[in-house]
Amino acid sequence: MMFAMFRVMLLRLLRDRGALAMTFLLPPLVFVIFATVFAGSTGENIKLKLVIADQARTPASGRLVEALLQDGRLRGLTADPNTAKTVRRQVRAGKADAGLIILSDPAGSGTPFLIVTDTTRAMAAPMTQGRIQAALSERLPDIMLEKTLGMVEPVFAPLSAGQKNQAKAIVDMVHDDAKAGRAVPAAQDLFATEAISGAGKGRGAIAYYAGAVTILFALFSAVNAAMTLIEERRAGVADRILAGAAGMVPALNGKFLFIVLQTVLQACAIFFVAQLIYDVQVRSHLLPWLATSVCVGVCAGGMALGVVALTRTRDQAQLVSTFLILLLAAVGGSMVPRFLMPPWLQTLGFFTPHAWAIDAYQALLWRDAEWTSLYPAWGVLVGTGLAGLLLAHVMARLVRR
Amino acid sequence: MTDSRPILNVWGAELSYGRRKILRGIDLTLRPGEIYALLGPNGSGKTTLIHAICGRMKLSKGDIALEGQNPWSTPVCRAALGLVPQDIALYNHMTVAENLQTFGRLAGVKGKALRDAVARAIHLCRIADRENEPIGRLSGGYRRRVNIACAILHSPRLLVLDEPMVGVDPDAREALDGVIRDLRDTGVCVLMITHDLDQAGDLADRVGFLREGRKVMEGSPRHLITQAFGEELEILVQLDEDPDSGDEIVLAGAGLERRGKTNIWTTLDAGGYATAGKLDATLRKAGVTPREIRVRQPSLHNLFTLVADWQDAA
Repeated sequence: MMFAMFRVMLLRLLRDRGALAMTFLLPPLVFVIFATVFAGSTGENIKLKLVIADQARTPASGRLVEALLQDGRLRGLTADPNTAKTVRRQVRAGKADAGLIILSDPAGSGTPFLIVTDTTRAMAAPMTQGRIQAALSERLPDIMLEKTLGMVEPVFAPLSAGQKNQAKAIVDMVHDDAKAGRAVPAAQDLFATEAISGAGKGRGAIAYYAGAVTILFALFSAVNAAMTLIEERRAGVADRILAGAAGMVPALNGKFLFIVLQTVLQACAIFFVAQLIYDVQVRSHLLPWLATSVCVGVCAGGMALGVVALTRTRDQAQLVSTFLILLLAAVGGSMVPRFLMPPWLQTLGFFTPHAWAIDAYQALLWRDAEWTSLYPAWGVLVGTGLAGLLLAHVMARLVRR
Repeated sequence: MTDSRPILNVWGAELSYGRRKILRGIDLTLRPGEIYALLGPNGSGKTTLIHAICGRMKLSKGDIALEGQNPWSTPVCRAALGLVPQDIALYNHMTVAENLQTFGRLAGVKGKALRDAVARAIHLCRIADRENEPIGRLSGGYRRRVNIACAILHSPRLLVLDEPMVGVDPDAREALDGVIRDLRDTGVCVLMITHDLDQAGDLADRVGFLREGRKVMEGSPRHLITQAFGEELEILVQLDEDPDSGDEIVLAGAGLERRGKTNIWTTLDAGGYATAGKLDATLRKAGVTPREIRVRQPSLHNLFTLVADWQDAA
């Protein structure tokens, strides 16, 4: 009996091209968009747009501007007209992420740089500062050396004329080396970086978003499938089924089974793209990934059937489910990564299946987590789903009146 | 030999929603191989009684036995029941055959038994020529037949039809009547809710009138009509157009009553054709020209009106 309803649901999906596209084409597309955006934002791929006004107009400031404009890690542009006002206006208008006003000769004393930022782009200021420092040490090491000598001399002892000439010669040599593109000791980084896993950059964020999009669309598609409960009630099919000896039990279980399968196939589509384009390691974690996807399916199926069973009309079901799904998605991290949320919101996220599903996918695909560490997430997802399914069964018994 | 033991017994069925009494002590006994039409105005309790029989409502008082068991407390006995809802309760995205297979499986029929049941239902409901067409492409009459076919796959002994003729044209209606008679002839008991008194009169072996939750009359249509009207015949006067207020006074003065919102005016009289002739002359003399005057046996329409009048008077 259960498989009869499973077949009804399957044929309904297969014979509706729109629903097929919504279920299996849209989620991978949305995932690719999210992955493209967020994979860049977490690594070194952010290309800051920097508008520069050189008010010092010295040879050193000119060299710095040139260095910044040539830096491939930035999208630098000079202010036109070359004024502080232009820089501030462009940053305020959002035409640039940050602005740099060179107030005085970088080789001179004092504070030669003013960074202009919008408070909504808090990361822009330290990033700009980092880029300027990198440009100075890589492309203008002579200036850095000269500034260092200027700071050192008053602290220790005045240099003799001979020492000054020697220092000047060294500075000129460093200048020539930098100009010729030769390695300069001053340009060496103080820091080296090490990724916590062997995977490529940004892949953690991609695994995160693959999970986020999977649970989000699993719920949307599940609600769409669960809406058949209301269509069946309206068309009298539910009356016919309820009049039978088995009542709604096999019909509900058949729908539930279908939604679980639909979710797993949907997850296949999303993670296939993730593996293909972004090399997210699904194949090497196939079994725990499959188990997680089944748990997500159980959760989506139960929740959708439970919510739809509580409503009487299609409009009600649409309203309640959309409200609930979007709210849970926002809190659970399907829209914005949870690590960007304040701590209280991150804690609240654990009351949503989204957070558990995303954590489970990320743990197994990014952190190579042990199966045992996935058990709590699986437990929460399955528990939520079964609670929803139970609610749907209870409501089906009540509506027979 | 046909088993003549009752398939359904209802004893003193009472049901209330809060203070409102919907059913007020209804008794009903149905036997295999009969068609029983449950008649009554909206709100008389027909649908509630059907819901109780289908095990979807618990009676406040009284009892129901479907094949000897209560359908509310013992759902398994509902296997003896097939429901044909008023709406076309089918899956539009599936073909006729797919719908039949699905509802057969949902009713617990499988394997060869399902194949045989589908073939039998297709034959009985005369839908073999459209077996592989999607429901969405069928006419209203065909859909009604498929709607019935989907309810008989598990060979129910009691088939409940809720308004089976809604939206059906006369040809399709005739075909549906044939289907229902054929089912009755196979030993199925058909319980039918209908507002279509002509259909009930033609098809039903027995009818029951419900009014305000009570069964006010029950019996075979012919017997009830004879009992209520004796030798009287119904005279129908059909007009070409809506009568004006003056004409209405003339028609009412001649003892005629308008039937619903139609242009047909009727009266009951034992004089039959002689009275019809006199009526024709009277009306023409007063300037009202009937298009047609017919004389016929009283129908369930007349009985229904009579019952309503009695009840209102009471």
